Amino acid sequence: MALIRIEDISVAYGSPSRLVLDGISLSIENGEFVCLLGQTGCGKSTLLRLVLGSEKPTSGRVLIDGIEHHQPDRTRGYVPQKYSLFPDRTVLDNITFGPEVAEFNLLTRFTARYFRRRRQFRQEAMQYIRRIGLREADAKKYPDQLSGGMQQRVAIAQSLITRPQILLMDEAFSALDPGTRKDMQLLIRQLWRDTGITVLFVTHNTQEALYLGTRVIVLAKESSDQGSHVALDLAVPAPGHADQVPRLVSRLEHASGCMREPEDVALATA
Amino acid sequence: MSFGVQFVHAKPGRTWTVVLSWSLFVLGLGLYFQTAQRRHQGNPEDRVMPTISQMAHGMYDAALKPAEDDDQPLAGNASLARRFLGSMLWKDTVATSRRFLISMLLLIPAVVLGLHMGLFPYVGVFFMRFFLFFDKIVALSLLPILFIAFGIDELSKIMLIVIGVTPTIILDTVNLTRSVPGEQIVKAFTLGAHDFDVAYRVVLRQIAPRVLNSLRLNLKSVMLFLFAGEMIASTDGLAYRIALLRRHMGMDVIIPYVLWVALLLFLVDLTMRVLNRKLHPWFHET
Repeated sequence: MALIRIEDISVAYGSPSRLVLDGISLSIENGEFVCLLGQTGCGKSTLLRLVLGSEKPTSGRVLIDGIEHHQPDRTRGYVPQKYSLFPDRTVLDNITFGPEVAEFNLLTRFTARYFRRRRQFRQEAMQYIRRIGLREADAKKYPDQLSGGMQQRVAIAQSLITRPQILLMDEAFSALDPGTRKDMQLLIRQLWRDTGITVLFVTHNTQEALYLGTRVIVLAKESSDQGSHVALDLAVPAPGHADQVPRLVSRLEHASGCMREPEDVALATA
Repeated sequence: MSFGVQFVHAKPGRTWTVVLSWSLFVLGLGLYFQTAQRRHQGNPEDRVMPTISQMAHGMYDAALKPAEDDDQPLAGNASLARRFLGSMLWKDTVATSRRFLISMLLLIPAVVLGLHMGLFPYVGVFFMRFFLFFDKIVALSLLPILFIAFGIDELSKIMLIVIGVTPTIILDTVNLTRSVPGEQIVKAFTLGAHDFDVAYRVVLRQIAPRVLNSLRLNLKSVMLFLFAGEMIASTDGLAYRIALLRRHMGMDVIIPYVLWVALLLFLVDLTMRVLNRKLHPWFHET
């Protein structure tokens, strides 16, 4: 059975209502690295939020492991582009937040057991800190003392420590400079291979989608008054086939830009 | 090429900053004492603008003499501190501070309510319209009603402060709560937090420094309502004393009292600012 089943989802916003997503059906298997690709405003982040459960579809449903979830929970980790860390907690406390909050509520947090467990949480968090390439001295820093790339590294560790089945990343690297972005892509590929987690990664960058994903799904709309649909669902060939990449890039960009196509054709023939 | 004087881009040096920033104080004090001196030459009995020595004498009586005439006069060799603790100034300060502290403590539930209103839609819907309306009631216009309902003792004065400041604090906290990015709340849920974990361990922690700043900004309102209550119906307190001495034209005590109140309020504000910085080292005011 597929891990994520998206069944005939449609989303409309506002009044008069404007269709954003129109009849999307997808099924994603355990262990896939799926990149959602599309132009700004095509609804790829909306689709991610539907899987996350922070937004509800107008029609259709999303099943995770066969169950419909009505709000975000521990099965799905989340790394947004901005505000991904709690600014009032140090790096270490950000990473231990998940384990702490899962085992202790507001009151049991004052028991002796909490303080014993917290030591274990911190040891585990330190392992993650080393694994994502931070120094131990960084553990005591607050998020605003870290660079954007470092913040996103911590955000990934924070999500992974609770061992979610699915990791949802919404333009997680889009605000980073190219060098940092490359490092982050290497890191997330490595972590994905090590943990076998299922990743749903939203991006508007074709190269990034092709480099990261085992599967690239392109969302596009045919005209501006219609909702997006799946324009292309592509299994990315193994890294050995580098010669195919330029052709794939043009195919993907063609698919995501299909809304503009009639004008382009008209210009070309004129 | 420009020889013009820079205005926007000007950078006053250290000396200029010190000289300019203190000059209005010097000017004000100078004008006051010069005028006081002239008035006293014309009329040695003048009570409107007391000289320094008169004010010092007035404050000596207020701060170091027993508060009531029927109090046991302390032995002449009693320590300065003991004499101060038995004085009118000290008793007034304690009475006012007590009311002030109780009112500030009663603002804590307002913050908690605002947090819940901002985070839980049903709580917000239930209270929001009422407090928006409540906020528009001029609290001082309720004073007669409070006196009738609660009597003229402590309760009515504290209720005046609570009624006057609570809606502002609640609405401010609601706004602060809603300004916490949605990503933070979603993130907390994905890490396994429940609703109240999100409220107290994510949102409240994040808005705490801004709530403290909001309380600091409302210190003036708290004092305003406190003084109004004390001046109208009270038998002690700093504002009561100022109102009482007005009848005797006791400017030699009124002026030092006004400065004393300003100093106290400044110290409270400073304490809260330092506390804010110590408790929330991650917070940078923007």
